[in-house]
Amino acid sequence: MLARMAANFYWLGRYAERTENTARLLEYQLTRLVDADADELALGWRVVYRALSQSPPQAPADVDEAEAFLIADAYTLTGGLVEDTTNPASMISCWGMARENAREIRPRLPLRVWVCLNQGFLWLQETEFADAWGEGPAALVSQAIDRLRLLAGVVDASMARDDAWRFLELGRYVERLQQQVVLLDVWNRIARPEGDGLVLSWADLLRVCGAFEPYRRDRSLTLHRNSVLGFLMRNPEVSRSLRYATDRIESVLRGIDPAGGRPPLAAPHRMVLRMAATLELDPGEADPSPDAASGEVFESLARDSRTLHSLVQATYVDYPVTAGLPA
Amino acid sequence: MSAVKFVDHGYADPDPAISAGSGPFRHYELDSAFHDELFNEDGTPRERARRLGAALSKIPPEDLERLQDGVYRRFVHEGITFTVLGVEDVSEQIIPIDCVPRLITAEEWDHIERGLKQRLTALNLFLHDVYHDGKSLRDGIVPVDLVLGCPQYRIEMRGMKVPHDVYVAVCGTDIVRAGDTFAVLEDNLRVPSGVSYMLACRTAMKWAFPYLYRAYGVREVADYPERLYSTIASLSLTAETPRMAVLTPGRYNSAYYEHAFLAGEMGVDLVEGRDLVVHDATLYARTAAGLRRIDVLYRRIDDDFLDPVAFREDSVLGAAGLFHAYRAGNLVLANAPGTGVADDKALYAYVPRLIRYFLDEEPILANVETHLCREPDGLAYTLDNLEELVVKEVGGSGGYGMLVGPHATKAERKAFEEQLRSDPANYISQPVLPLSRAGCFVDGRLEPRHVDLRPFVLQGKEKQHVVPGGLCRVALRKGSLVVNSSQGGGCKDLWILRE
Repeated sequence: MLARMAANFYWLGRYAERTENTARLLEYQLTRLVDADADELALGWRVVYRALSQSPPQAPADVDEAEAFLIADAYTLTGGLVEDTTNPASMISCWGMARENAREIRPRLPLRVWVCLNQGFLWLQETEFADAWGEGPAALVSQAIDRLRLLAGVVDASMARDDAWRFLELGRYVERLQQQVVLLDVWNRIARPEGDGLVLSWADLLRVCGAFEPYRRDRSLTLHRNSVLGFLMRNPEVSRSLRYATDRIESVLRGIDPAGGRPPLAAPHRMVLRMAATLELDPGEADPSPDAASGEVFESLARDSRTLHSLVQATYVDYPVTAGLPA
Repeated sequence: MSAVKFVDHGYADPDPAISAGSGPFRHYELDSAFHDELFNEDGTPRERARRLGAALSKIPPEDLERLQDGVYRRFVHEGITFTVLGVEDVSEQIIPIDCVPRLITAEEWDHIERGLKQRLTALNLFLHDVYHDGKSLRDGIVPVDLVLGCPQYRIEMRGMKVPHDVYVAVCGTDIVRAGDTFAVLEDNLRVPSGVSYMLACRTAMKWAFPYLYRAYGVREVADYPERLYSTIASLSLTAETPRMAVLTPGRYNSAYYEHAFLAGEMGVDLVEGRDLVVHDATLYARTAAGLRRIDVLYRRIDDDFLDPVAFREDSVLGAAGLFHAYRAGNLVLANAPGTGVADDKALYAYVPRLIRYFLDEEPILANVETHLCREPDGLAYTLDNLEELVVKEVGGSGGYGMLVGPHATKAERKAFEEQLRSDPANYISQPVLPLSRAGCFVDGRLEPRHVDLRPFVLQGKEKQHVVPGGLCRVALRKGSLVVNSSQGGGCKDLWILRE
């Protein structure tokens, strides 16, 4: 398939995943509006904004980050991440970028996938944010999640398992890997009790990742840092674990490789295997201290996931012409 | 769309009671100056339109509204759009679709089909002649300076062997109906567009009028992508199953949807200039697994932009060296560069002569009366009758750069007259054509509107094929004769009847 189209499929996967990630984090935070107090909400907003690598809202110069989130209201904080077209990370911007990438690959995209993606975008574009907020703060993002999962289902049901699908999957899981590494890192840092004694719930982290029920079945309700982080890093069956993402990436890269994953491996393939090894060999969970997890492993994984993206671009899209000539 | 119920409104049972000016057609005003395709002059329905008239009279206006809206939403959701480049932004727009089909009988179509095949055969022979012996020029059939002075004449094509001598593989010819006869208004031999709207309209109409469609026995157009593929593939010199691609300027081009649609339907890559590399006089596409050769390119960009080495050096839409690969015989281009010389509006006036010269036959389809302002008599006639004529730039398109005399103000005519005098060779004039009118559903009413037609003709190595249908453009503004989508035009489905 054309290198440019491979890149479009890859970015379609990334932007769709990014939109859903934002929606899930917002859904978590907005459902807490009912019963959490102001300090807890401000802490939640810090997590959401940091996990999305977004700057805190503008506040007076002498106000620190924690206070800035106390001052800002939920409507504004949500709007900035949902409907603000000037924010390239907002849901409407990411959905729009997914659609723009899809426009470039219309000839390779099943009509049903396009219609589902396009209808979703037009729905979000035409929805009045203020009206939707009136129906319940979390209603809009919940509907968005449903539409994005419908899209994933239509992709699953209507696309052949060819390179187009593989690059889309590759984009989806590279994005998921990057976002999950950041989320676990942020939660790990902020969850530590601070001066005011506020703590983040490890159960909430599992819920944000759609992993609470599998965790409960697997490990009962013993919720401590090492166990939860270990589960979200290494469980091979939970779709938002880091291990699941690296497994999926490794699998699609094997499919993209004309040699089927036999040596010599392509650079992105080597990198994802290295990340899988990092996950496997990290001693965090085995440490007897329940609070032993350090941020170092996340920093290393974040760096490697960025390198993985660069290697995908360099290997399949931006390779030098001389390297691509037929033998 | 789910709100629409499909009910068989007795489509198979024509109702003799309907007439223009009464009942559901009470707003349908006939005008003896224009041929009406739905009703006879006495207001009774034409033979072919009886079923359609009966169906329209039985569908409540609110159901028609819902159908129209359903078709519109279908286009929006499927992204059947054209791109409009504004000053500050880029927007996607939907071509307005009228949900009432236009009908053409089998006998009428047979006449059109034969005429189109004859015309394209003559034009391909002419193009070969222009770029080789120039016999028709030496024999005075067409003025030499008209050809050599045409901006679309490509000296680079002179003496070049074009695969199977097929210069124009895809042609879109604009046809109008005036009275009981059809006439050619314009040949589009470069990158004719609109076929995707023809196919989209057909899909929508089958959805909107399933019973009526079945009752009528309409000729199918859905195999166009297969026909296009086999036509262009047949031109390949190098491979039995050539690797083909569609070359597009990109998603900001107004016809991008069509390019993507055709590439998808043909199962070939949609490439842009940035995807292409020429190495050793061979064209390659950059794929995720390295460079892959392309044998045949259905290009949807103008000659000027194909190759910055051979043509416009500032072009970033084509690929450097592409024309070299073409000349080396390692690549087939459809259509060939330089075909624009034969669809120039001044050359158009000579096409009947070319048919007689190359085929020794009388033209089956007439031309519209045309006055060449490059000739003193033509200029004098045009200036004397400016109030009654349509004056067009010879290289213009899209309804721009033209003067519609009867609708222009005195000042506009005066200004145009000066342009005419300063560069007469750049203009032609034609009488205002009494374009036929077809039934349309506009603002909740059934009313007549002016229409034209662009059928598509394919010319392969051995076979010619005329698509039994075409892009039917309609001037949706009441009284307007301008059908261009850029100026208030829309489109509707065209049904060619089997019997």
